[in-house]
Amino acid sequence: MSFSFSRLSTNQRLAALAFVLGLAAIPATPTRGGAVRIAPEELAIAIERKADHVSAPDLADWIIQGRVDFRLLDLRAEAAYATYRIPGAENLPIASLPAAGLALNEKILLYGEDGVHAAQAWFLLKARGHRAVYMLDGGLEAWKNLVLYPRLADAATPEARQRNERLRSVSLHFGGTPTAGAGEGGSEPAVSAAPLPPVPAVKGSAAARPAPKKKKEGC
Amino acid sequence: MMAPFLKYGLFNEEVSLVVAFVIGIGFGFALERAGFGSARKLVSQFYLDDMAVFKVMFTAIVTAMLGVTYLSWIGVLDLSLVYLTPTYLVPQLVGGVVLGAGFVVGGYCPGTSIAAAATGRIDGLVAVAGVGFGTLVFAEAYPLVKSFMNSTAMGPQTIPQYFNLPYGLVVFGVVLMAIGGFVGAGWVERRVRAK
Repeated sequence: MSFSFSRLSTNQRLAALAFVLGLAAIPATPTRGGAVRIAPEELAIAIERKADHVSAPDLADWIIQGRVDFRLLDLRAEAAYATYRIPGAENLPIASLPAAGLALNEKILLYGEDGVHAAQAWFLLKARGHRAVYMLDGGLEAWKNLVLYPRLADAATPEARQRNERLRSVSLHFGGTPTAGAGEGGSEPAVSAAPLPPVPAVKGSAAARPAPKKKKEGC
Repeated sequence: MMAPFLKYGLFNEEVSLVVAFVIGIGFGFALERAGFGSARKLVSQFYLDDMAVFKVMFTAIVTAMLGVTYLSWIGVLDLSLVYLTPTYLVPQLVGGVVLGAGFVVGGYCPGTSIAAAATGRIDGLVAVAGVGFGTLVFAEAYPLVKSFMNSTAMGPQTIPQYFNLPYGLVVFGVVLMAIGGFVGAGWVERRVRAK
């Protein structure tokens, strides 16, 4: 053995070593997910900076762009999920979260009806060592108010008109309808939460909505 | 102590820049020592009379792969926290062709151009300027190519997960591929040089 080995060049010896190590690695099972360490200061800073949030319009842009670098998880009960969901969302009722087997290197975006369940799930996942967990700011409510049924402000300036045009196209893309807030005095567009637009008929149809998304990708 | 150190909070983002700097110096030194600061050496790869680029890169892959495999096997490295670049199949194929074409024409890939520039080679400096200019043009043209850039998105993918193969088997397969590649590269070199 040593006699033949000594006749090999350095390169050949290293290749032989790699071969042996590779062969021995066949039964290897890599560690995926290990010890957990919570950094309270880090969490607190992230919360204060709102770095743990994604706004509904941003999410809408992501979906329209066809981004797949994140998983969108709907934390509501199955029935609510069946009635309406944000396109691309997977249903994961909060009770089944601990057993869901989410990978630690996935970017995860959580949403519930409002912000509460998402925030609780966010902490659960953070505590389990998930790094890239985010919440939809304001939950499904914000999605309805800011994306599906946005209030359009007075189109006085070209910028405002442009903004309205954009809101309208995003809203229509997801099967909503923008509401014109033009005549009703100068209420801020963001404060549209009070008169919640109806969310009835669209609910069912919006569930199966990947088709327009695909179309949008091409152009 | 668990790796990745940054993600386990052993040091913060600012310190990670220092770490990156030190690793970068080491990487540049290794490239220069391997002769990769010279465009002649690099371009020989494409004329097939010196396959050093192929051998060095594949050696680096196998070394890193075996290191990652064993470290994560004994539980020192958490593989699930290692960043995976998401796959965008067609844009990445196109990008590979563009990079390869630039490599043949300019004689450098991005990393080696910096190593060459650091030793004062004029062609290296020009290549670095070209990288900067190209990055600027790309950034300005980004809205035009954005929809293409995001097409055929497959998310982060690994061969064991995509083909549902045992992790260790893929590791061994890559080692065999490397050894076969080295033998083949040596054979090609001898054939081309004999001519």
